[in-house]
Amino acid sequence: MNSIRARLLLSLLAMLVLAALVLAAVTYRNVLAETEALFDYQLRQMALTLRDQGEIAADQAGPLTDEQLDFVVQIWTVDGRAIYASRPHVDLPARALLGLAEVRVGTQLWRTFSVATRDKVIQVAQPVEIRRRLAAHAALHSVLPLAALAPLMALFVWWLAAGTLRPLRRLADALRLRDAQTLQPLPDGDLPDEIAPVVQALNALLKRLERALDAQRAFVADAAHELRSPLTALKLQLELLQRAPDDAGRRSAVEGLAGGIERAARLVEQLLTLARSEPGAPVGVVERLDLGELARAALADLHPLAQLRKTELVLDAAEGVDVDGDRASLVALVRNLVDNAIRYSPAGRRVEVRVSRDAGVPVLQVDDQGPGIPAADRARVFDRFYRRVTGDEEGSGLGLAIVRSVADRHRASMTLDDAPGGGLRATVRFPLRPAAEADNAPDPVAAGAPTNAPPSAFTLP
Amino acid sequence: MRLLLVEDDRMIGESLRSALRLEGHAVDWVRDATAAHVTLASERFDVVLLDLGLPAGPADAQGPRDGLDVLRALRARRDATPVIVLTARDARGDKVAGLDAGADDYLVKPFDLDELHARIRAVVRRHAGRAEPLMVHAGITLDPATRQVTKDGVPVLLSAREFAVLEALLQRPGALLSRAQLEDRLYGWGEEIESNAVSVYIHQLRRKLGADVIRTVRGVGYYLGAADPSVPDPAAGDAA
Repeated sequence: MNSIRARLLLSLLAMLVLAALVLAAVTYRNVLAETEALFDYQLRQMALTLRDQGEIAADQAGPLTDEQLDFVVQIWTVDGRAIYASRPHVDLPARALLGLAEVRVGTQLWRTFSVATRDKVIQVAQPVEIRRRLAAHAALHSVLPLAALAPLMALFVWWLAAGTLRPLRRLADALRLRDAQTLQPLPDGDLPDEIAPVVQALNALLKRLERALDAQRAFVADAAHELRSPLTALKLQLELLQRAPDDAGRRSAVEGLAGGIERAARLVEQLLTLARSEPGAPVGVVERLDLGELARAALADLHPLAQLRKTELVLDAAEGVDVDGDRASLVALVRNLVDNAIRYSPAGRRVEVRVSRDAGVPVLQVDDQGPGIPAADRARVFDRFYRRVTGDEEGSGLGLAIVRSVADRHRASMTLDDAPGGGLRATVRFPLRPAAEADNAPDPVAAGAPTNAPPSAFTLP
Repeated sequence: MRLLLVEDDRMIGESLRSALRLEGHAVDWVRDATAAHVTLASERFDVVLLDLGLPAGPADAQGPRDGLDVLRALRARRDATPVIVLTARDARGDKVAGLDAGADDYLVKPFDLDELHARIRAVVRRHAGRAEPLMVHAGITLDPATRQVTKDGVPVLLSAREFAVLEALLQRPGALLSRAQLEDRLYGWGEEIESNAVSVYIHQLRRKLGADVIRTVRGVGYYLGAADPSVPDPAAGDAA
């Protein structure tokens, strides 16, 4: 039974029954108490009257034998001989206690009042049962209106519940009619105070969902768009190869094709790395890692590129600078920073990678001797697929987006400045105690945090 | 023909330039909106291949921001140079915006080179006011699609550059083209221009097609003469 309406109805009926019971009990007690005084008085009056009159008047014989009132009058002589009994069949004891008394005869309880004169004893008795019956009768009568009202009240509650719950039903209908793409807010005008918060919370959720969905859509659209360029290049290169008029043309076409394939592969790899580091993506094993060792691994990956560009790679790593995180994505972070530094610097320059602690905080710094990035552009270069004016390098436009994404997941802050020797300085500052925080951090996605939450979320599986 | 290729992607640009050169076009290639804008303002091209998603270029914010801006600026100058938009944007809204901004045609990446060549021929044809795909003049027939030339029905074999010179002259028969204009048709930027190359190609064409087909206005340029030498030639008068 989980219907609010049915529960309301049952509760109402239960309350009605309870009220009836209480009312009946109270009425019963009150009536009993009142009749007690009244009947006692009557008993006493009757007995005293009989004493004073000395005999039963003719007009009194009627009421005395009235079954309804069930008074029983007995008169004895002083020596105990019964001289009158209004109803002989009653086996009241042939003795009387003077004054008011209760006498049990068999199963019946009697209330008696006896007076003694010089020559006789007069006892008027009445079954207590009568009084109880009257009280019960009165109690029943007091409850009857409630019983009559109960169905009406039930109907009213039914109707009231239906009316009150109508906004909920409307809400359910509105939600049922939606498909996965309909994320407009629900109408929230004219709602009861109790339901408005639900609708507001739903609308807030819908807004977050829409933002997340838009971000996903934009990502897919961007990715498709970005994949199209290398594919276009590949297609053209292939057609060129097919049309090459001579060996030299064929060689150059094959070279172009190889470059195109490498570029497409790199873009796909970068897209995957980014997708893995996006908020909400499952994280690999979180472990304590030596930042200097990570940097060394990333630089080893980039050695061929550095040789090609005649770039000098320098690593200056302090001992024991530990960070907690996912190894693959942290290597990707370092690799992308250094890769950018190599690609966007003129050939023959130097790229310096520094791993150190600044007031205990693990810091990774990458300096290049390239043209740098104007301060105005620094915020935008983290956007995925954002490319500044192209040099000769075909960047995927994802490198810094990956760096930002990985940094965010590791609660690291990311800044771009001018390097002292000209060029760009990229600085990543890791949190002081990442492990303790990360272990207790609520999953921002599971907790329903808005997708534009401050960059902090280190999502654990 | 002389084409301007506006494409920021290095690989696509290089491949397209090679492909278009194989087809006998002179190709100039710029990689950002500002460079495209400046080039189009100062030089003439037969066709512009324009990528819409361009970086703005190193200039200040006043310059064109993307390919559409370049196109609008071009048309605002009442420059009717045929423009084929090449872009990865395939949303209908982008096509509409491109065409409404003054593009003559639209190709979505990735595209076939054959289709690109055909569309280049088509916009050039339309631009010249011709409906028929063949260029015919004084017994000479040039098919831009098959790159075949016949003289009085007999096929004539031409080199790519000879073909380009003849095609340029055939676009407006009778109109005078200077040597510099013909060189422009033959060589893109950075290509070494052989000295008196144009004279050599003209000489070859005369040898293959007949001496009186291409006329010279000494010190001014060349034009295609009328089929019948007795008919008065308006261009000769203009050139004088």
